[in-house]
Amino acid sequence: MHRLRSLALNPDGFAFDPTTGESYTLNATGLVVLESLREGLAPDEVAARLVEEFEVTAEEASRDVDDFQDHLRTFRLI
Amino acid sequence: MPSLVVGVSGINAVDNPGPGIGVARSLREAKDLDVRIIGLAYDAMEPGIYMDWVVDDAFLLPYPSSGHDTFRERLLQVQQRTGMSFVIPTLDTEMPFYMKYRQELSGLGLRTFVPTPEQYRLRGKDRLGELARALDLELPRTEVVSSADDLERAVDRIGTPVMVKGAFYKAYEAHTTKEALSHYHKLVAEWGYPILVQEVVEGDELNVVAVGDGEGGVLGRVAVKKMWITELGKIWTGVTIRHPAMLEATDRFMAEYRWRGPMELECIVDGDTVYLVEINPRFPAWSYLATGVGVNLPARMVRRALGLPDPASEARDYPAGKLFVRYTYEMVKDMDRFQSMVTTGECGDCAREGRASADEPGGTA
Repeated sequence: MHRLRSLALNPDGFAFDPTTGESYTLNATGLVVLESLREGLAPDEVAARLVEEFEVTAEEASRDVDDFQDHLRTFRLI
Repeated sequence: MPSLVVGVSGINAVDNPGPGIGVARSLREAKDLDVRIIGLAYDAMEPGIYMDWVVDDAFLLPYPSSGHDTFRERLLQVQQRTGMSFVIPTLDTEMPFYMKYRQELSGLGLRTFVPTPEQYRLRGKDRLGELARALDLELPRTEVVSSADDLERAVDRIGTPVMVKGAFYKAYEAHTTKEALSHYHKLVAEWGYPILVQEVVEGDELNVVAVGDGEGGVLGRVAVKKMWITELGKIWTGVTIRHPAMLEATDRFMAEYRWRGPMELECIVDGDTVYLVEINPRFPAWSYLATGVGVNLPARMVRRALGLPDPASEARDYPAGKLFVRYTYEMVKDMDRFQSMVTTGECGDCAREGRASADEPGGTA
């Protein structure tokens, strides 16, 4: 979580990791998920936020959050 | 009249750039140092000779390999002509000379800030195993070879692909033993022995530039991630980073070896694993990035060597996320400077009134 919190994140969805120099681009959904995780929300709370902000079902949102976390693990950000 | 005349080598700002222009430019930007820059070149076509907004005056030197006596004699000639009192060598092949004659040159009024021969040996490519252990870094499987038979055996043991690396410069990836042998012969012919055969490890290329004070301390350090490199492996675009393990390894190196002078720590980082590639005993060609983010290492080094204080404006730290971008540029010059360099080995009128030049990127003259 430390790595995730240290990311420099701009509102357009560009994230920069100051430790490794890697940069990432996020779509609108990814940006909400990342910001929510950085705030410390649990995955089900993040999914609930997606349901509020986007036209998705709870099941779709939950799957998106899981997929996103898999990406973060691949990038060793969590 | 400038108070300090500094010779800087490696002003060959070409596709495999020497570090000199970044160093000279950094000194130029240190407002408290009133510096006249003497470019020490090896070829009349080194672009730095013609960059009169960076280099005030330029002289051709014989290659250090032509003999230390000849080299020293020419250096002292330059000193007599210009009043040069400090030299910053930036090329690996010059280091043995400057280390060997450091005290003698100093006695003649020509100061340097270079490591001792012992420090230099300890970070040699043939001592990387010890170095990696001391710095708590991993080392890709590496073998030092000095014959074609040794090389074949090393490639068998490590397995392809391998990196084949020269004693001073250049590294080639080889996918077969035959290819490795071809690189081996080319490198031996150019740079001599030893040759390193190294396992290829995957990861990001992260480097640190730093200057040690010779007493275990660090005058400053900046880390970069190479984002885009040329076919020769030279950084073209990079970004400042703050990688704790690499910065700690730099501090440990300085403390452990009491390194005096500039250095570049080269690593490949794969997740939490940091592989040591090598430590270069000089400024890298990208060192102006450090100056650009407020850590002017050449100026700090000169001040330390001459016992001058750092101005209060000197940054103690630097931000991550600052981009370094190289570009190509053209100058159009009369032939006289080239002719002068070819016929007399110097161009005595490089300096001009004012720094702004029509050729200077962003210049106004």
